[in-house]
Order: sequence, then C-alpha cells, then structure tokens
Amino acid sequence: MSDTFVQLTDLTLTYGKNIAVPALNLSIREGELIALLGPSGCGKTTTMRAIAGLLAPASGSIHIDGRDVTRLAANKRGIGLVFQSYALFPHLNAFENVAFGLRLQKLPEAEIKSRTEQGMATVGLSGFEGRKPAEMSGGQQQRLALARSLVMRPKVLLLDEPLSNLDARLRLEMRTELQRVQKETGVTMVFVTHDQAEALALADRIVLMQQGKIEQLGTPAQLYAQPETAFAAEFMGFENIFKVAGDSVQNDHGSLPLGYRPDSAILAWRPDGVRVGQGPHQGRVTACSFAGGHREYVIDSALGPVKANADIALPEAQIGDSLSFDLPQATARPLRA
Amino acid sequence: MFRNRREGLALALPAAIFSTLLFLVPVAILLSEAFRSDTGFSLQGYVDFFASPLNRSVFLRTLKLGVLVAGSAAIIGYAAAFCIVNLPGKARGTVFGMVVLPLMISPVARTYAWIVILGRTGIVNDAIVGLGLSASPIRLLFTETAVFLGLLQLFLPLMIISLVSAMENIPRDVIPAARVLGASWLNVFFKVILPLTKEGLVIGGTLVFTGALTAYITPAILGGSKVLMLETLLYQKVNVSNDFVSASVIAMILIAMSFAANLVLKRIATARS
Repeated sequence: MSDTFVQLTDLTLTYGKNIAVPALNLSIREGELIALLGPSGCGKTTTMRAIAGLLAPASGSIHIDGRDVTRLAANKRGIGLVFQSYALFPHLNAFENVAFGLRLQKLPEAEIKSRTEQGMATVGLSGFEGRKPAEMSGGQQQRLALARSLVMRPKVLLLDEPLSNLDARLRLEMRTELQRVQKETGVTMVFVTHDQAEALALADRIVLMQQGKIEQLGTPAQLYAQPETAFAAEFMGFENIFKVAGDSVQNDHGSLPLGYRPDSAILAWRPDGVRVGQGPHQGRVTACSFAGGHREYVIDSALGPVKANADIALPEAQIGDSLSFDLPQATARPLRA
Repeated sequence: MFRNRREGLALALPAAIFSTLLFLVPVAILLSEAFRSDTGFSLQGYVDFFASPLNRSVFLRTLKLGVLVAGSAAIIGYAAAFCIVNLPGKARGTVFGMVVLPLMISPVARTYAWIVILGRTGIVNDAIVGLGLSASPIRLLFTETAVFLGLLQLFLPLMIISLVSAMENIPRDVIPAARVLGASWLNVFFKVILPLTKEGLVIGGTLVFTGALTAYITPAILGGSKVLMLETLLYQKVNVSNDFVSASVIAMILIAMSFAANLVLKRIATARS
C-alpha cells in the first residue's frame, strides 16, 4: 500500500518469557485515527509502547513514514505519547511542561514561547501557564498532556486510554476535543481503549485485539454490524451467542429449534434483535429494567438466560411471568468458529 | 487529650532532663572551652589552631575526603538506586536487603575487613605480586585512598536508602514521557530525576558527609597517624596531649562543617530546578 504511514511487520513483543504480542502485522495510513480495542492484557498498550520505542521488540520491524525505526531510541522517533496517567512533570509548571520537549531541541526562546502558548491555546488552557499540574483538575491535566505532545508536531500521536480517568461529562467533551484536534492538525493518531463505545465514536478504523492478535480490523460500522467471530460479536454488544447444530441452536444449557437451517457455525443476536411477546419459544422473566425507549428483559429459557429488548409500547412483563420470544433469521449475525 | 497542659509537659520531662543534663550541658561546657582564655571570651583557640600547618592540612584533608566520599556516594548511589527501583518486586527486596545488610554489622568489623583486602598480605597485594605487577607488596593501608574507600563503603548504604525512597516517589511514566519528548538519558537525569529526588540527595549527602567527618574508627584503623583526620586528631588532643582547648575547637569546627554542608546542599537543591 502506497499510503501506509506506520507499518508493523511480524512484530513480536515479549515480557521475559511471556509472549505478549506474537507476530503482529498492521498498516496505518497517514492522518488516520486508529483505535486499538480490546480487554486488558490483550497487548494493545504493549503494542503502543513498542511503537513509541519504550519496549524493544523481540523480532519483527516497525516502519514510520518509510523509515525503519525498529532499533531507534524512544527520544529520536519524533512520536507523541499521551500516557494514561498523563505523566506530567510535577516539578514544572504548565508552561514548562509543554515547553519541555521544545527546550530539548534548543529552539530560540521566542519560538519556544510562541509554540507553547499556541499549544496551550489549542487545548483551551491559556492562562494556566503558571499552574503546577497538582493544582489542575483531571481534565485540565489530560489536555496539558495532550498539548505537551502536540507542540512537538509528532509524526504519530499515541494515546493510552485517553478518556478512562475522566468522568462521564468530561469524557464526551474530550472525545469531541480529540476529534477536533485531529482534524485541525491532521496528525496520525493511534489510541488504546477497552471501551467499544469510545472506539466506535472516535476511530476511523478499529483494530480489535485479543491475546496479542488482531481479532478483526475494520471501520466502526463494519465492526458494529458485521463482527466475524464470537469474541468480536460479544465486544460489539451481541449478548446472545449460540452454537448451531443442524436447524437448532444450542449451548451448555440445552437447545432450541430455529425452524430454519443456518449455514454458519455460530449465530448471534443483539438484545434488540430478539423478538419479544410472540414467537415459538417460551421463557420465564428473571430480570426486567426500564431503559427509556425500551425494556431490557432477561428471559430464562432452554438456552439459559436470553437477553431481549422489548418496545415500550408492549405490555410490561413482571419477573416470574412467562414470555414468548423468537430468534429471527433476519436479525441473526452469522459468525465463524 | 490531657486534662491540662502541665500533665503533657510532665510526660516530656524525663526526656528533657536526660537530654539537657547529660548531653547539652556537658557539650556546652566542653564547647565553651573553645572560646575561653585567661581574659574571658576569646577566639585565640581558633587562631592558634589554624596557625599550625599540620592542623590546616588535617582540616583540608577532612574537608576533601568528606566531599569526595559524599560526591562518590551520590554518583554510585544514583546508579544503584535507579537500578533497585526498576527491579521487579522480589529481586528488588533481595538487592535492597544486600545494600542495608552492612548497616547491621559493626563498623569496626567492616573496617577490619579492609585490612584483609588492603594489608601487606591482603588479597589485593597477593594479586599484585602474584601477577608480577610489583616485586614486593605496595603500601595500600595508611593511605588517603584506604580511608576514602573505608568511609565510602561505610556510608554508601545511607545514600542509597535516601535515594531509593526519593526515587520511589517519582510518578510512574514520567521518565518514559521525558524519553518520548526527546530527552537523552543525561537529560532525563538532570531535568527529571535530579529535580524530583533533590530532597533525598540533601538528606543522603548530609548523612554521608557528616558521617565521614565524624567517623573515628575507620580513619583510625585505615589511616592511623599517617592520615590524620579531624576526628582522629581530636582524639589525640584529648588522650595524648590533654589539650582540651584544641579538642573543643576541633569539635566546634566539625559541628560547623556539618551545618555548613547541610546549608550548601539545600542551597544547591533550591537553586533552580
């Protein structure tokens, strides 16, 4: 691919004898916003640290902008990294935190001043120059860390769980902030997250990882609608996942006839995709919660608990009530084993 | 907590009496010797002390060795502390334990160990003669180098302990953050590690410097009368020449040097980060 900007080739990362990431291959385009998504321990942060040069790969290579940086030290890669802990320098005020990297480049004082002030303005921190990090809120520290990386005009900006330490309101604010900064600067961004909603909302493409391997790679729309494996489907909110046997689905609890013969090994339904109130199957309601436009039911059936969302217009079922439901072919997502 | 203030003070009384009567008073009497003459208050003791070339050289040697020991301990200490802090849990405890272990052994025993190493028939001389580097054993004991090594080994653990606890307080990821922002390891040390551990350095530096100044056994055994330090000179003045005025003057100089070292280190630490 001609427009590949960051290329990871057979990248193998180890901690002592443990292989965290075995032979990873990934191409990232210039200006792209990529999310590395996965549960903790899936190797996403490890991969990011390797791109930054903080972890030497056991084998494989990393190319950035056409240059092999596999053996290049972290301080020579020209990459930005916003740490989950922000990692601000506690002994320096906000201005000096942002100016830290510029001062190392021995730039003229006037340029350091103008770029630092511009960087702080970009993240809305003008006027906070004299504050120490400890005197700033979590959201402000987060933006300060972002500014500190951005003023270096990095080729690639890496962000480790950038929104995880913020409360819900700030998280939405920073989400739009990150998108705005990315559009304004055009910087290639790779961010690590375990929150699929965050990845879906922010990323141009999502790399879903499990046990150091790429489970699925695609746009948020692709991953959301067409997960390919049970792991991907579960991550994307398909809460009902069953093995297919002939013309029925089954799990450890038992089996249910479908009335049609699927041609995939596994079928999955979102709670939205399960039809409630009519259908060939019966179950007992074990939980019911009101969620605005719909009610969320857990129905105990021959397959164990089935999660189903029912329109608010339907009559409410109480816990213990018997409820009929259907697993329609139209809303079933076929998955490979 | 107490029904009245007097009850609280009563509890502090034994400690206060103990310190005052048994420590402060004798020390004050002793030190006042340093300012006494036939006519009353006088600094003549100091003038006389520094008039002697031998005393001057002992003073300068003590200052020099104190600075060298504290400086070397800082350099070795930073390397060791950085290594210890970055070790995984179990190895870290083991290495840290090895650092602390010598503190549980008497300084006399630790100093005599150097005789085994540096003596005429010691390990080093055996090696030198064995390898043919010298026909006969060379003098390693009773040199400034021997005193320096002894003092450094004696007080290095204090520096390492101070620096390890200082480094443990450096926030996680701050050093990698500096690296990614373009800092070489030298930059990381001077712009991040040093400013964030300067309190530890001041404490460690003061402990080591003061320790080196006031150590008696190590310079006495490894330096003897060939390498006199203020502390060994003080002992001579008291026990050999019964010159209490000079002894008091030396004691005052040692106290002044300790305070000065602490002030200088604090000044350096707060100068500019």
